Amino acid sequence: MGLSLNHFLVLGALLFCIGLYGALAKRNAIAILMGIEIMLNAVNVTLIGFSFFNTVKPYSTYLTGQIFAIFIITVAAAEAAVALAMIISIYRKRSTVDVGEINLMKW
Amino acid sequence: MDLVTVLFWIIAIILVGSALLVVSMRNIVHSALALVMLFAMAAGIYLLLNAEFIAIVQILIYAGAVAILVLFALMLTRTDSLSTNSNPNNKQWWLAAIISTLVGAAIIFAATFSQYSTAHGGSGAGYGSSACHLPPNNVVYIGQLLYSPTCYSYVLPFEIASLVLLVAIVGAIVIGREE
Amino acid sequence: MAFYQDSWLILLSPLFSFAVIIFGTRMWDLASRGRVAATSGPEAAALAAEESGTQLMEGHGPHGEEEVLEDDEDPKVPRLTMGARVSGYTGIVILALACIYSWLILLNSAGVINIAPALPTSGVTVLSYDWFNQGTASYIISFHLDTLAITMMVVVTTVSLLVQFYSQGYMENSAGYARFFSYLSLFTFSMLVIVFAQNFLVIFVGWELVGLSSYLLIGFWINKRAKPDEDRLSPATASIMAFITTRVGDVGFIIGIMILFTTTGTFEFATLASKTDPHGVIHAFAGNTGLLTAAMILVFCGAIGKSAQLPLTVWLPPAMEGPTPVSALIHAATMVAAGVYMVARTFPLFAAADPAAFQVVAWVGAITALYAALTALTQTDFKRVLAFSTISQLGYMFVGLGVAGTVLGPGPGMFHLFTHAFFKALLFLGAGSVIHALHHATHKEVQEMSKMGGLAKYMPITAITWLVATLTISGFPFFSGFYSKDNIIGLAFQHGYYGLYVITLGTAGLTAFYMLRAYILAFGGKGGGFGGLWGGTYRGEGEPHESPRTITIPLVLLAIASIVAGYWTGFFGYIQPGAPNLDLGVVFTDPLTWIGVVVSFVGLGWAYVLYTRFELAAIHDFVEGNIVLRFLHRLTLRKFYIDNLYDLLIRYVVFGISHIEAAFDTYVVDGIVNGVAGAVTGAGRGARRLETGKVQAYMVGFFGGIAVLAIVVVALVMFVK
Repeated sequence: MGLSLNHFLVLGALLFCIGLYGALAKRNAIAILMGIEIMLNAVNVTLIGFSFFNTVKPYSTYLTGQIFAIFIITVAAAEAAVALAMIISIYRKRSTVDVGEINLMKW
Repeated sequence: MDLVTVLFWIIAIILVGSALLVVSMRNIVHSALALVMLFAMAAGIYLLLNAEFIAIVQILIYAGAVAILVLFALMLTRTDSLSTNSNPNNKQWWLAAIISTLVGAAIIFAATFSQYSTAHGGSGAGYGSSACHLPPNNVVYIGQLLYSPTCYSYVLPFEIASLVLLVAIVGAIVIGREE
Repeated sequence: MAFYQDSWLILLSPLFSFAVIIFGTRMWDLASRGRVAATSGPEAAALAAEESGTQLMEGHGPHGEEEVLEDDEDPKVPRLTMGARVSGYTGIVILALACIYSWLILLNSAGVINIAPALPTSGVTVLSYDWFNQGTASYIISFHLDTLAITMMVVVTTVSLLVQFYSQGYMENSAGYARFFSYLSLFTFSMLVIVFAQNFLVIFVGWELVGLSSYLLIGFWINKRAKPDEDRLSPATASIMAFITTRVGDVGFIIGIMILFTTTGTFEFATLASKTDPHGVIHAFAGNTGLLTAAMILVFCGAIGKSAQLPLTVWLPPAMEGPTPVSALIHAATMVAAGVYMVARTFPLFAAADPAAFQVVAWVGAITALYAALTALTQTDFKRVLAFSTISQLGYMFVGLGVAGTVLGPGPGMFHLFTHAFFKALLFLGAGSVIHALHHATHKEVQEMSKMGGLAKYMPITAITWLVATLTISGFPFFSGFYSKDNIIGLAFQHGYYGLYVITLGTAGLTAFYMLRAYILAFGGKGGGFGGLWGGTYRGEGEPHESPRTITIPLVLLAIASIVAGYWTGFFGYIQPGAPNLDLGVVFTDPLTWIGVVVSFVGLGWAYVLYTRFELAAIHDFVEGNIVLRFLHRLTLRKFYIDNLYDLLIRYVVFGISHIEAAFDTYVVDGIVNGVAGAVTGAGRGARRLETGKVQAYMVGFFGGIAVLAIVVVALVMFVK
């Protein structure tokens, strides 16, 4: 049996739910950020898989999935920079990166 | 099993395994190192999908920049319990496990078993179809798609992405600056 | 045709003057007063009093003394500004033009002069506007002119013109002079809307406009307080009372209109008449004239309210609290006449209904006439006697409408309305002249007849015109009331309503009595000339003088009209083609006429003997000394305790129901509302715990929602095709 789109989709799904678990279950803010990076990579895997297995045109001339992946990487880089800056800023003020102790998201 | 399939399985297993390590290691530095491994394996998957440019970018940005950033952040926010349990779970980890299992199962179901899945969507242009035979340098196509002022392209989103990066840089500086 | 078509000018001219006064000259008045206020004290104070509603009075007696009056009626200005004067002139000039035009239309359509072609029998539509169509029903705003409308239009414009002219003198120092004229114009316009109405929709609009205008005018003296010792309400209360009481009748009116509309699908009087014609091709109420009868009786309820018939008489006597010109306008031409006019207008519908409809109209009218006449016997307030006489005369009009039959049509009732308009306006304006004179003489508002007496020698023009009006309303031969009223009484006999005949005949005697009583108490008395008719002892203070010309000129004109109006013998045929005209020869040879004359002479003679031979105090003592007479006196003075009955009814029944409803509101409605609010508050208090401020808790919520959605979608995809 050869590889099909499903292989990549299932791989992406596994990665996504592992990343989701990391983002939901970890106390450390940096660990949460890592989980989010895993989720973004899972999406990239899925998009590039779609791009490769597209039924519309030859993959080489139909690269929308890859373009999307590029944008995702761009945004992920920006997000990582801002998020880490925030983490460091919070750490300076509170000497902790435990999100369980940070309850700023309310009135 | 052809070589591509073998490579896929090897890479996929390492990929999922390193992902599991990221979320399960007790030492967060080890987690970060597993994350580097994950990024590298993801780049391998991209290579299997003929996305050489993305793979290179993945290595450069993720395995290079983001991983380094994460490690720096870890170093700057060093806690005392680094060796014992620097990557603890919170109280709702079981709920997180259930939710993530459900979401993952739903995605897998949608992708494979439902009547709307791609498995039922007809044959694709994947491996073995004639369209795959000529993998030219698709960086050219990406370049055209991103920059071409005449053809159909993503110039405007590209410029906006650059703006996003600029704002992120400024924002990161402003936020991370010492008072 | 254009001659008749352009009568919309008459309709809209009072509205025009209303707008001009309100937005133009009144502003001018206020602005110029504002400028004067900077330099002169009293005027500024008067202006402030009008604006802020404080109770400030300025004495302006002929002796020049500063005297603060005990009644705080109307803020005064020492002299009117140019803006106020122009306001009055605007109203009068515009209305005079309208009045001349309407007289031309009347004379031309009656064939007296010939400057335009004759009016078609069905009349002409002067203005018509399709408001909107909805299914088969169309809502049209249309104004129509036919002989009935022309008659009423002439009455309205003439009386309004004279009242406005008169108001120049009566309201001479009122700070609200411009406002008063604007209200009068609005009142005239409202009544003209009713007069010109071609369908129930428009007549109802006019109906409510009249209610609004009367509310504004009755309550014109907003600062005046109630006088409990004279059993008088404050004008503000009286205006609310008039508005609410007529509203009670309007409920029936609306329901009646709704019944007619749902059954026939039209508001138009002409279409309604053809659809309910018993001999017509289409009869919307075929086999169900009971419904039509009920509808018409409900419509008549509106007339009961507006024309102050039993059981809704209570608002009209308190309405005397308004300025006297307003009372004249209300009683002669506008408000109360609206009910009679509406019944006359819908006469074909009443005729198509069962005879019960007309019998209700006639009996309500007759009983009201008797009740009001009995009540008027003992009233001591000058204007209140007139108020009850109006109620009584309106009762006559309804009797006239009820007994006329289809051949005569609305003619007899309208004829009495026509003549009554002149002599009732005269009576009120004369009363206003007396009050005006006494106000100047005593610096008080005197309306009690016990403080008058012998005024004839002080103010002869008022007295002689008032005497004319008294004789007219009493049915004295050769005066107009004689023709119109005796005609109604005679019709009741001829058409076999013997009960109505007896009641109306007796009421005629009572009318003669109380009217001459009022005249003698005010103008004559023991020891006066002509056996007590002319002058006598003046029981009040000060020295009254005849009123100025602006007041006496309308009196003289109305006195002439009161005599002459009865000689329009072609009235019935004018209103309803084919109706037999009034034949003076028959009138004077009919024994019924002379029975009526004898009865009214008995009433007049009785009053003459009683009040010119004895002092008022002596009569009073005699009545108090006899237990039966004392009881009867109390009974009629207190208006047969109808006011008290309503008071009890409202206090115990209406308020009782209101308390139950209030309890329902408090415990059930509020309970539901507060319960819902409490549940939401409790839920919010609980939900507050969910807002931990921790980002992962929110993420769990977000992805948990996605998981639940995923399960739902999977279930749908799997099990629901």
